[in-house]
Amino acid sequence: MKTLSLRNLGKTYFDPYAGAHVTAVHDVSLDVEPGEFVSVVGPSGCGKTTILNMIAGFIPHSNGEILLDGKPVHGPGPERGVVFQSFALFPWKTVLDNVGFGPKMRGVPKAERDRIAREYLALAGLSHAANRYPAELSGGMQQRVGVVRALANNPDVLLMDEPFASVDAQTRMTLQEELTRIWQERKPTVIFITHDVPEAVFLANRVVVLSKGRVLEQIDVDLPRPRVWDELVKDDKFKQLSARVLQMVRTA
Amino acid sequence: MQVTGSLKVRSPRLMRGIDSLAEAATFVAPLLLLVAVWAIVVPLFQINPRIFPSLGAVGGAAIDSIRDGSLFAHIGASLLRVGLGTLIGIATAVPLGIAMGVSPTVAAFLTPLFRFFSVLAGIAWIPIATLWFGYGFGAIVFVIFNAVFFVVAYNTLLGVRMIPQTLRNAAASLGAGRRALLTEVLLPGALPNIVTGIRTGLGFAWRGLIAAEMIATNVGLGYMLFVARDFYRTEVIVFGMIVIGVLWLLIDRLLLVPLERATIERWGMVRRT
Repeated sequence: MKTLSLRNLGKTYFDPYAGAHVTAVHDVSLDVEPGEFVSVVGPSGCGKTTILNMIAGFIPHSNGEILLDGKPVHGPGPERGVVFQSFALFPWKTVLDNVGFGPKMRGVPKAERDRIAREYLALAGLSHAANRYPAELSGGMQQRVGVVRALANNPDVLLMDEPFASVDAQTRMTLQEELTRIWQERKPTVIFITHDVPEAVFLANRVVVLSKGRVLEQIDVDLPRPRVWDELVKDDKFKQLSARVLQMVRTA
Repeated sequence: MQVTGSLKVRSPRLMRGIDSLAEAATFVAPLLLLVAVWAIVVPLFQINPRIFPSLGAVGGAAIDSIRDGSLFAHIGASLLRVGLGTLIGIATAVPLGIAMGVSPTVAAFLTPLFRFFSVLAGIAWIPIATLWFGYGFGAIVFVIFNAVFFVVAYNTLLGVRMIPQTLRNAAASLGAGRRALLTEVLLPGALPNIVTGIRTGLGFAWRGLIAAEMIATNVGLGYMLFVARDFYRTEVIVFGMIVIGVLWLLIDRLLLVPLERATIERWGMVRRT
């Protein structure tokens, strides 16, 4: 496991509609320790998805550095797993082959990557769906596949871009609980982008609040685990933390 | 509630059987009606057999051509040409289409050429093809290839362009290199459009085939029609037209539709029609 460091990260691009240069990310510095779960929240347009896309290597950054264990990263790579808001499963592959895709790219033989994929599917309670195609699954199930597909590749950092934004509210709460359970079992390093404040607090060890392309505030979340909604909705500390973060986001 | 009871007894397999029978019946019924009109109208108005043949005469032509084996020689020759020309067309068009989809430079360079040549694709090439390849197999296969090539290449290009960027990103973040991106994402992702291209291309090819065979050969379904015309054998002409139409329907039903069902429909990339 490796430390991810953002040093004075910035992104400026030319907006052809505005006819001007726009700075989406000003000067963001952040360290994420191995095994840490960091939520990044902020209002729309605060640059959170841009930051994630830069870490993932989907877009180049204009200023500063992205370091993984001290080494700069360029372009996408398997050491940075990504979970997409739109799931981004391969429609032409079964659930098993979607989850086994990362190992396949590493050259793992078929029998072994099927075993890995089945292990991770079991982790998400999806063993029964192994041979189905993504289009045959509900949105919630598709995103479970999306999460374990990224995990099965054993990345140093897991980047999650509003992964639960497009599923219904009840499913979302279940997925959040499952994610905290899986995180506790596997302890992956996670950067979780969301605009949903209770979600950010519920999941994370630390919440980073962004505003206008800058880090506004960082708040440690020392709520006990395992975290379950039925208990946390009544928990005063959770309510206080959420209220505090919410106020920052709204005034940001 | 007796009705519900009796419905429940029926097995799903039986119900599916009934469904597909009903489907077949709705497909065949209009064609049968056309045949019935034909059977009545031709004798009723005593139409000159040089203008249009009777149902019986066409049946006779069918039996004759089956007995002397000429029908199978014509069908065999035509299918071989279509098959070969189509395969060469697909094998060259798909890689080119993907190259255009991946590289804006290649696409920018080739697009004007494609615009120009797609209008000319197919039968406009018959005269020059006969000069290049002589009258016969080579010229006809070239015309078929030509008809298939542009449609499939263009549709492949569209298919690659329509693959969501997030799927490419997902593959890259899972460790896919250029080669894996091609085989694991771009090719299967473009498949719905490639299949559409093949379907359209085969339709063009089939028409091109008949036209080319009228001019450039001495065997094949197009030749069969053309020779019969010289002898005013309308019953042979009409029979040949029926064979051409039925063969196309069979190619579509037995080859293309099952291919779609097994792949892109299963993947939920197109809706079943």
